[in-house]
Amino acid sequence: MRSATKRLFPKADRWAKISLNFFMLIVAIVWLTPLWMMTIYASHDDQMIFSGSIIAHHGGQFLENFAELQSKQDFVRAIINSVIVASAGTFFGLVVSSLAGYALARFKFAGAKAIFAMIIFILAVPGIAIVIPEYVILVRYMGLSNTYFGVVLPYLANALGVFFMRQTFLALPQEIMEAAYLDGASELRIFAKIALPLVRPAMASLAIILFIACWNDYLWPLLVLTTEARQTAPIALGRLVGLNTVAWGPMMVGVTLMTIPFVTLFLLLQRQIVSGIANGAIK
Amino acid sequence: MANVDIKELRKNYGALDVIKGINLSIREKEFTCFLGPSGCGKSTLLRMIAGLEDIDEGTLAIGNKVMNDVPAAKRNISMVFQSYALYPHMTVRQNMEFGLKLLKLPKEEIELRISETAQILQLTPYLDRLPKQLSGGQRQRVAIGRAIVKRPQVFLLDEPLSNLDAALRVSMRVELARLHEELDATMIYVTHDQIEAMTLADRVVVMRDGQIEQVGTPLELLHSPKNLFVAQFIGSPKINSFDVEVVGNHGTQVTVTGQAFSKPLTVEMANAANLSSGTRLTLCLRPHRLRNDTNLEHQITGTVQLIERLGSESLIHLDIGLPDPVISSSEGTAPVRRGDQISLRFSAQNCLLFDTQGAALPRKLPADAQALMGTDAQHVA
Amino acid sequence: MSPKNRITPYAFIAPYLIAFGCLWLIPIIYSFSMSFFNTRARPWKFDMLHNWGRLFEDALFLATLKNTFLIILVQVPFMLALAVIFAVFLNSKLLFLKGIYRFAIFAPIVVADAAYAVIFRLLFNDDFGFVNQLLNAVGIADIAWTGSSAGAIALISISLTWRWTGYNAVIILAGLQSIPKDIYEASELDGASRFTQFLYITLPNLKPVILLCLVLSTFGTLQLFTEPTLLTEGGPGVSTTTVAMYMYQQGFKSFNFGYGSAIAYFIVFIGLGLSLIQFKLLGSKSDA
Repeated sequence: MRSATKRLFPKADRWAKISLNFFMLIVAIVWLTPLWMMTIYASHDDQMIFSGSIIAHHGGQFLENFAELQSKQDFVRAIINSVIVASAGTFFGLVVSSLAGYALARFKFAGAKAIFAMIIFILAVPGIAIVIPEYVILVRYMGLSNTYFGVVLPYLANALGVFFMRQTFLALPQEIMEAAYLDGASELRIFAKIALPLVRPAMASLAIILFIACWNDYLWPLLVLTTEARQTAPIALGRLVGLNTVAWGPMMVGVTLMTIPFVTLFLLLQRQIVSGIANGAIK
Repeated sequence: MANVDIKELRKNYGALDVIKGINLSIREKEFTCFLGPSGCGKSTLLRMIAGLEDIDEGTLAIGNKVMNDVPAAKRNISMVFQSYALYPHMTVRQNMEFGLKLLKLPKEEIELRISETAQILQLTPYLDRLPKQLSGGQRQRVAIGRAIVKRPQVFLLDEPLSNLDAALRVSMRVELARLHEELDATMIYVTHDQIEAMTLADRVVVMRDGQIEQVGTPLELLHSPKNLFVAQFIGSPKINSFDVEVVGNHGTQVTVTGQAFSKPLTVEMANAANLSSGTRLTLCLRPHRLRNDTNLEHQITGTVQLIERLGSESLIHLDIGLPDPVISSSEGTAPVRRGDQISLRFSAQNCLLFDTQGAALPRKLPADAQALMGTDAQHVA
Repeated sequence: MSPKNRITPYAFIAPYLIAFGCLWLIPIIYSFSMSFFNTRARPWKFDMLHNWGRLFEDALFLATLKNTFLIILVQVPFMLALAVIFAVFLNSKLLFLKGIYRFAIFAPIVVADAAYAVIFRLLFNDDFGFVNQLLNAVGIADIAWTGSSAGAIALISISLTWRWTGYNAVIILAGLQSIPKDIYEASELDGASRFTQFLYITLPNLKPVILLCLVLSTFGTLQLFTEPTLLTEGGPGVSTTTVAMYMYQQGFKSFNFGYGSAIAYFIVFIGLGLSLIQFKLLGSKSDA
């Protein structure tokens, strides 16, 4: 009965509606401010930034700031390095994860349960626990210091990726794969020609998440990539912050350059990214 | 086309036996149905024939060749799945081609087979569509088409109609019967729907708990069930069962009494039975044998509890003072109401008798059933 | 599965297992064993308690541990409460233009840690940062964001909240959307108000998801490294130096791998212990 009266007299609802929308509007403004200010700072010289007055408009110094940035650190190179590292990490991470996830989803074999339990356990072990030995093994013993290969290698064993792909393949009807098997297809062909095409959207989600994770990584590339020619964008930023005199305008150009493509990508692929995060966490 | 021979077939999942020693010969060109409640192992048995499940013990031969260790693709079978299992990202044509290409057939042969099959199944206009652009019935036909193009020795069908709505199921059933005629193929068909089994099959294999309860033609199952399980499982509505006691046994004539009946009734047996007085038995009577026909000798009296009007028939639930009501299938316009006190009549020759273990005591078939099945059918039961 | 396929599954899983073995299993064991060695000695010398004993006497380590816990206690509950509110609002039928709000709140997910840390470092600069300028404009004096330990902790917490609330809101939103609609309809017929529905239907159903977020966030914050490094450089003094930063200093600045490994393992054990406690506290109630 009460809900019926609520429908007839939606006054209370109207206030709820107004305050809710107002609240979220404020939240959205606060949340977007850092990114907006990033682009503003990137377009002013340091004198303006240091002046102590509120800057609310874009200036005209973007290109000058960019030139100064390049003179301090080869940031374009750093972004290219980041793209190389993140692409390779994503591609090989996807290959390894989808193969392993498929095996765990489709086959019953001795050790499958143990392997899966181990993956769940690994999900709970912080990456920090293995940074030191990984460094000792890959850099000291294998001599992979300052190589892309050395940076990318740890991205291959991604427990979250295997878990994600296992869940994805489990959701496929087994009968489709069985039909292909009866049709005489080899397991590799079933995987490549039947299963993979059917999980393309989920793989796209995982790809984006792996790419962001590789792109984001700070500690590991900081340890492995030691020269300016090889460093990734986050490391270049870190180096700039560490300089005695911080040039904020140029630095914000760098931040903008490494952020805007992702925010744009997010605008386009929000659905995949969101579903990727949700599916990796829940299920 | 080939026959399928199964000897002492067994399968277990860990400690759980799912197939417990099955012996079965399926003749060439025969349409065989595996029928049983869910969990009886019928699908597992089919998947073992297909090669989707390992055989733990026993032998499986298709066309007199032992297939235990032959990979599924080389068994010369094809299978239609319950969910159709069409490749969602391939067109109808690609779905049918996939297996043929893997067989490395020449291109012209593949095209010929696909166009022929599409013709038979009226799929020609849809060859370049994706499964999601088809209706449920069309998808079903594609699944069948994908099985047909391979021209297998044996067709395996796993509950192929269960995903269709009721109307479509009836028309696909007719179409399957026609296809069997046309292809003249050995078909093994798994279902839990006895109407499908009874209408389609040459022979039905009734299964329970990983074992075969009875193999027979639909009429044999109906009129000469081997045991109480088959009697109760086959036939809709379910057969009426009564506890009875032997009061007389004269050679092939057994006389019994029961709480439900006003007087003793005498059943004619196929062979002389050796039953002493006082032996407890179960007597079964099909609902359609219980009618308002004063010519019949025996009667059951009770109060009408419920009437289900199904159109051409009415199911009358009669409370006769026993825990379970007696059900009669009468004509659709039977003039009875709830609460009426009525008597329904039946003939003793339509009764089935089972011992306490559930095994059937072979009876002399009633004249009408005998006429349907031919005289030689009598010895089967 | 298709039978007679004894080797195929292993072929599929082999690449992962090899990578896993070399890059996780061996390192995990190696690092655990390293923590029992004096790695300053040449050659490394086995000494059971050299590193583990030092942990509990090392004032600097204990200080970084305290800092890390302080950030977790201040930041994680606040962020999760906010994430629940955002998720519920984003899921509400009363909200217009959801796409814009979703974008605003979720966009930080794709911003690199290093990038946003640098942005916040500038925005919260004590002398000329945007935030203090805004505060001055409304008559509030400068806050020493990087000059005081309270300010520095607050700054890191605010930054983490900006970066991670959207991430948690995504997970909670997915949890919300998996609650069957008809429960709400049934309770509406029973006369439940929106708030009652939130308390008695939404929250209990969200409990496992919130627990998951709690565990993920606690684990993440225990490993906090990039933000304090780039925002406050651990200062002022060591007031925002985290355990992970201290591990890095010990491992890669002082090259004391043994002690660094002991610190890393300490973080692992604390993380596992905390998540066990969290599961016990929250998990058992949701079973009842």
